[in-house]
Amino acid sequence: MRICKFEYLIDDYLLSRLSEDKRAEFEEHYFNCPLCFEKTVQRDELISVVKTKGSSIFQDILVPKEAKRPSVFETIYAFLTPREWATAAVSAALLLIVVFGVLPNIKATSPDFYINEDRVRGPSITLISPVIEDMKVIPSQFRWRGLLQEDVEYKIYLYNHDLLWSGTTKENFIILPEEVKKLMISGEKYSWQVKAFSPEGALISVSSKVHFYITHQQ
Amino acid sequence: MGLSIFDSSFIMEKVKKNKTELTTEEIVAKYRPVVSFRVRRSLGSSTPDWEDVVNNIIVNVIEKLQKGEFRGDSSIGTFIYTITSRRIIDHIRQKSKVLKHAPEPNPFLAPYEEIENKERAEVLTKAIEKLKPKYKEVLYLYYYKELSRGEVAQRLSITPRRVSERINYAQKLLSKIIKK
Repeated sequence: MRICKFEYLIDDYLLSRLSEDKRAEFEEHYFNCPLCFEKTVQRDELISVVKTKGSSIFQDILVPKEAKRPSVFETIYAFLTPREWATAAVSAALLLIVVFGVLPNIKATSPDFYINEDRVRGPSITLISPVIEDMKVIPSQFRWRGLLQEDVEYKIYLYNHDLLWSGTTKENFIILPEEVKKLMISGEKYSWQVKAFSPEGALISVSSKVHFYITHQQ
Repeated sequence: MGLSIFDSSFIMEKVKKNKTELTTEEIVAKYRPVVSFRVRRSLGSSTPDWEDVVNNIIVNVIEKLQKGEFRGDSSIGTFIYTITSRRIIDHIRQKSKVLKHAPEPNPFLAPYEEIENKERAEVLTKAIEKLKPKYKEVLYLYYYKELSRGEVAQRLSITPRRVSERINYAQKLLSKIIKK
């Protein structure tokens, strides 16, 4: 196909983009080049139609771009780049694995608590009896919930204003000696506490202090 | 009254004086559309006397050819182009003298107007509407929005060369449709 070297000027000429000199040169050229003249006329015809009827011809191009509103999904999706969405998805998956897969299998650590100056970890000892504040009689025995560990030695402490008595047992109860009972009088406030020791002598658990009053002396 | 310039004997009589290889009739037939196009781009199709200007130019060309003013130093096309340009400027100046508040003569105005043949325009409109979106897009951006090739290329994420290819191909498709 024949191509004239001036052919590239056709659009610029028709859209009035050429300088005065270039325009005159091109006009003189198409007076001498039937090929360029024919193409210029055809292109001029096309441009005239586009210019005058473009608003209706290109309606399908104009309307979607100007009137289209993004959906909620598109708005949210546009918040992050695809790569960022992928990273977020992987992170969420890992988090779910950790929360539902790993964490339940981790044994709960026992609480730390301080008893006087002793810091103790591990399960606490639950005192069972006596825990009623007003005791009509002097308790003959003290009972608590033992630990699941074996070879644990429990030490019980009975307080008045000071330490009144302490005893040791490997059971989860201890009988109050008679001589101690005789020291206890009505109207007085007493408290008791149990500590657990390992076979090596390390403090492994402590109960809270429970108070009681002797309201009636035998 | 003298013989019409289109009279065959008149034409043949003048061939010898004409230094071109074309007869006057051939010159008129060949260059009348070119002169018309040039005049209409300068004056606009809506100008009522554009055809008179074209006729005057053609007559002027033939007169000069008869007088032997065309010496063959340039091509016949350049000769006719020069006459055309001068006559256009003369016409605009004459018009601006007549009109009291006429604007400064600007023979290089090229306003966009509806093409004369409305039927042809309708055919072309429908043909453009049927083009594939990728061709309509370049026509829209390049001709309707008047973006540069580079800007169109950037907008469509294609090369400027591809923009030109699509425009040329769209033109070919439209020409085929119109010829049908």
